Amino acid sequence: MSNETTKIPVCPVSELEPGDRRIIEHEGEFLAVVNCNGELFGIEDRCSHDDGPLAEGDVDQEACTLECPRHGSLFDLRTGKPKTLPAYQPVKTFPVEVIDDTITLEV
Amino acid sequence: MATAEALAEKEKVQGINADYAEKFGFSDPETGYAYKAPKGLTREIVEQISEYKDEPQWMRDFRLKALEIFESKPTPKWGADLDQIDFDDIHYFVRASDKNSRDWSEVPEDIKNTFDRLGIPEAEQKFLSGVGAQYESEVVYHQVNEQLEAQGVIFTDMDTALREHEDILKEYWATVIPANDNKLAALNSAVWSGGSFVYVPKGVKVEMPLQAYFRINTENMGQFERTLIIAEEDSDVHYIEGCTAPVYSTDSLHSAVVEIIAKPGSRVRYTTVQNWSQNVFNLVTKRAIAQERATMEWVDCNLGSKVTMKYPAIYLLGEEAHGEVLSIAFAGEGQHQDAGAKIIHGAPNTTSSVFSKSISKDGGRSTYRGLLEVADGATGTRSKVVCDALLLDEKSQSDTYPTIRIGESDADMGHEATVSKVGDDMLFYLQSRGLSEEEASKMIVNGFIEPVTKELPMEYAVELNRLIELQMEGSIG
Repeated sequence: MSNETTKIPVCPVSELEPGDRRIIEHEGEFLAVVNCNGELFGIEDRCSHDDGPLAEGDVDQEACTLECPRHGSLFDLRTGKPKTLPAYQPVKTFPVEVIDDTITLEV
Repeated sequence: MATAEALAEKEKVQGINADYAEKFGFSDPETGYAYKAPKGLTREIVEQISEYKDEPQWMRDFRLKALEIFESKPTPKWGADLDQIDFDDIHYFVRASDKNSRDWSEVPEDIKNTFDRLGIPEAEQKFLSGVGAQYESEVVYHQVNEQLEAQGVIFTDMDTALREHEDILKEYWATVIPANDNKLAALNSAVWSGGSFVYVPKGVKVEMPLQAYFRINTENMGQFERTLIIAEEDSDVHYIEGCTAPVYSTDSLHSAVVEIIAKPGSRVRYTTVQNWSQNVFNLVTKRAIAQERATMEWVDCNLGSKVTMKYPAIYLLGEEAHGEVLSIAFAGEGQHQDAGAKIIHGAPNTTSSVFSKSISKDGGRSTYRGLLEVADGATGTRSKVVCDALLLDEKSQSDTYPTIRIGESDADMGHEATVSKVGDDMLFYLQSRGLSEEEASKMIVNGFIEPVTKELPMEYAVELNRLIELQMEGSIG
């Protein structure tokens, strides 16, 4: 397995306001960047409970969580760990950088 | 059968048909009720419930968001027929009494008489550590043994807990069952009222059970209690709930949410003796988390209701946690008991067992619906699922829908399922020993459910056997 990482440009930083998210597709996988009170988090767009989309759910900026829109599991954006059931396994998180005013996801 | 005997038997059977109405199915007048919401579910009703209870803003917001979720989710189509429920024809909140007492003499007389008839104060004196009695939407009586209280055990109704223990409640609230989990959990989250809050501190063993009794009195009523049990490290508690309602020709709805957190080394047993009248839809979400070395046990007896959909779940999330579900379902004429269990092995070396027994008669339908899941990385797990169905006649029905997902190759899983009929040869053998056909049939059923009844405290085992015998009367011939 390769440990190489790829930097994927997501969008200009000005296009992602606090509380917003941007979903992108990379090699068949959906990933998301979420702006939580100005801090950017990269997370896979997949709920570990049923493998359905995650990133369209509500963002709680105070708690820094993302809520699965189908069954309500809350995921910690910092760690990818679920804070509530029915999900009990973490989802992947990714480092995010801003390079030349462009949000970049390291995968 | 001789004519005199036949008449006596007929009278006995008629008497038994009237037994539910007399023993549990009676209703009280609604005079003196403090508040009864008009039928239907609106944002205003939800806001009113929250206002009546003088709740903090976060709870009001939680309720309103849950209402939106309820309205956006379709009614499940995969189980029993829920299209019969008219959600606009239900009273979502009924306050029978203005106060919640710790003394039976302060409970309004009609309500106290009801609980006397149901034997609750007597049971409290004899063998319980604490009792909660919910009548309509709210708890009217609550008491807990003083010694337990001194040890830090909290056993109170959920409305009081929100006022007096808001910090603990908020920490765990809806973390096991979010409002978005399913349509009925969303409904409960929007209009919840009453239920129990149990907190057992580290190392405390509650020797005698805590019991809650739920009673619906009003016609077209919805009861939506919410229960949360937190067992701290190495603690031990047994919680029992019972429920009944008057017999009406129109339907009522009971939709509870029960969340349990069993912390490392603790043991929680949750026993239900569900005996709603046969005009109640009983749609309940029950789920527990068992952390390292914790044991969680659901003992679930479903005798009453028109339709029950209930699948107690255990998430074994800590190493060496253990989960057990013992389930009995009895489906008579016009009843559909759609019950089962969900076990998630989310950590290594976790163990579980599910024993499900169902009995169907007079065209009743019982369904076992189960999930057994072993997560990736949960090595060394062991589980056994046994579901047995007994059919007492040709027109009754039993279905089994097991789902098994295994993520580790060393999991040790067993699934056994049997469907049997009470055959002429069994009856003939017992009758040759001097039993009547009906006695023989009862004996077969009692033997069939014995693995579950032996797990109940004696008083409940006796009661359960008695209830099943009542259900069995007149079922042969």
